[in-house]
Amino acid sequence: MAIDILIAEDEPSILEALDFVLKRAGWTISAVMDGDAVMDAVRRQRPRVLVLDIMLPKRSGFEVLKQIRADRTTADLPVLVLTAKGQQQDRRIAEELGANKFVTKPYSNADVVDAVRSLLGAPADDRQHS
Amino acid sequence: MRAPIGLRISTRRKGLGLSQAALARSVEISPSYLNLIEANKRQVGGTLLQRIASELRISIDDLTGEAEHRLIHELVETFADPALADVGLGMETARSLVATQPEIASVIAKLYRAYVAASASADAYANRLRADPLLSQLLHQVLSSITAVRSSAEILEDVDDLSSADRARFVTSISRETRGLSAVAQNLIGQFDHASTVSKSASVRRELDDMIFAARNYFPALEQRGAEIARDMQSSGAFGEAAIAHLLETVHGVRVERNARPNSGRAFGHDADRGVLWFRNTVPQSTRQFQMVRLISELTSESELSEAVKVPHLSSQTARHLARNYLASYIAGAALFPYERFLDDAETLRYDVEALSERYNASFEQIAHRLVTLRAEGAEGVPFGFLRSDPAGRLTKHFPLPGLLLPHTGHACPLWALYAAFRASGQLVRQVVRFSDGSRFLFVAKAVSRRASGFADQALPHSILLVADILHADRTVYADGLDLGDSDADVPVGPTCRLCTRTDCVSREEAPFAPGDEPTLTTARA
Repeated sequence: MAIDILIAEDEPSILEALDFVLKRAGWTISAVMDGDAVMDAVRRQRPRVLVLDIMLPKRSGFEVLKQIRADRTTADLPVLVLTAKGQQQDRRIAEELGANKFVTKPYSNADVVDAVRSLLGAPADDRQHS
Repeated sequence: MRAPIGLRISTRRKGLGLSQAALARSVEISPSYLNLIEANKRQVGGTLLQRIASELRISIDDLTGEAEHRLIHELVETFADPALADVGLGMETARSLVATQPEIASVIAKLYRAYVAASASADAYANRLRADPLLSQLLHQVLSSITAVRSSAEILEDVDDLSSADRARFVTSISRETRGLSAVAQNLIGQFDHASTVSKSASVRRELDDMIFAARNYFPALEQRGAEIARDMQSSGAFGEAAIAHLLETVHGVRVERNARPNSGRAFGHDADRGVLWFRNTVPQSTRQFQMVRLISELTSESELSEAVKVPHLSSQTARHLARNYLASYIAGAALFPYERFLDDAETLRYDVEALSERYNASFEQIAHRLVTLRAEGAEGVPFGFLRSDPAGRLTKHFPLPGLLLPHTGHACPLWALYAAFRASGQLVRQVVRFSDGSRFLFVAKAVSRRASGFADQALPHSILLVADILHADRTVYADGLDLGDSDADVPVGPTCRLCTRTDCVSREEAPFAPGDEPTLTTARA
């Protein structure tokens, strides 16, 4: 079953808020909470965009990103990376590994929604109405 | 850099209205020799210096100007600091300031020390923040919590038609995250409190150096105490490691444990609570012996130690504590290497440190250290300076040689035997060096290692340097085979690159500090 957005985030409170906000914007959401689960979920659930936190348990966001770009079937997946404020280094590395967009924590919910929208185009509902 | 004694002697002599002939007669040398001395064409030391000082009714330190010299040197170091370098002050200013405004000079030196300590503190904080895994973990937690709180709060605020179930969900989220934040904040504050004690160390060490310097690293009261302890040990038949351990146990209730397997990285320690002095197997006998006697010294010399640290140089509990540690070791040295016998042996063996190690069953460093303390008036050994370098080349211990000011901290000139010793596989290295003011010294250095306790245990070597004025070099075995008269064979060196005035040294590692005419000073880094 294809979904719009796969979120990879291990902090439950952050995940809860993200889930709410993105659903409210009209997208279908699925989530994983550690790095090992991401690849599998990407293949099974075929999201249109991946929202990826850098600090994940078991496998870091960088490794996951590298893996996604290395696999032909997932190489073109748009990825939005969530980085921590002040970590210029992280941002640079993610860019080199092929991330498409960044949002820095702490963020305003609107930042995330706008970023996803720019990677995806309008959500499924909107497109139907226009 | 030598102290200009000649001028002081002639100034003082003239001030007292003494003629050269009269002074020369009273100290039993020829007037022409006195003339050479006053013109700084001959060095004077030992008993002659004492006689001259006595005749001129002035203390030796005032005559050699050693304390002033040290202050001048400290000011030069201050002026060389990058923060002040572009002001362009140097030796001339330092000399003139110390001569005309000694209190101001002292104040400047003191301020500089405080500044260095404060900088070190700031650096310590910065490094702590950057590198401490616990701190970065805590900061990460703070960031995550704040992200969650902000995200949830925005939802509560912006979404009008929020169901009460959802509202409750996000309020709970915020609640939970803020409780976590409070705990993290407390933890962080605790970490900072701890970090603030990190860098007093720089100035505390300097204070200890000052105390040692003022006493010329010779403490007669502690020598006496050491002699008493040696007598006590002898009369109770404590000769040799087993007997000393027995003494420690029966009289002081401290059990000696060899073959200990502690968790800490240390090779030995005193667990006061359990009453145990423990050693790992890798610790050599010389260390065990020394540490046992040191503990006895510490336990039985309370009044002598307290008295010895009541000096103005030590301004804090920490400094006094550090000083007590040092002085307890001093007493142990005095007990294990009794002054007169050791001096006698040193003279007989011509200051062969390794031969003395053999005779006293002591380590190279213990012997070297004892040699430096042979400064009893009238019964002095060859005056030595001492430096120790850690495996990264940093100076970790130093005892100055009057007349040659060695760097306190940081690194020394790369040409010194101190560093060559690291490349000599534990063999002793010697060299005759010449500084740019013409003063010459004999350097003797050896890299020493402890035993490794396993393949994974890298036992890195330290290097020990002993320094003697070339005048005394021939009293030592280390001058054998060297042509001390041939100054062309000298190695031209400096104190440390930044303070060295040599312009043609291929081993220069850092641009020199050049006050006055070099406007491009701050860009002149190699």
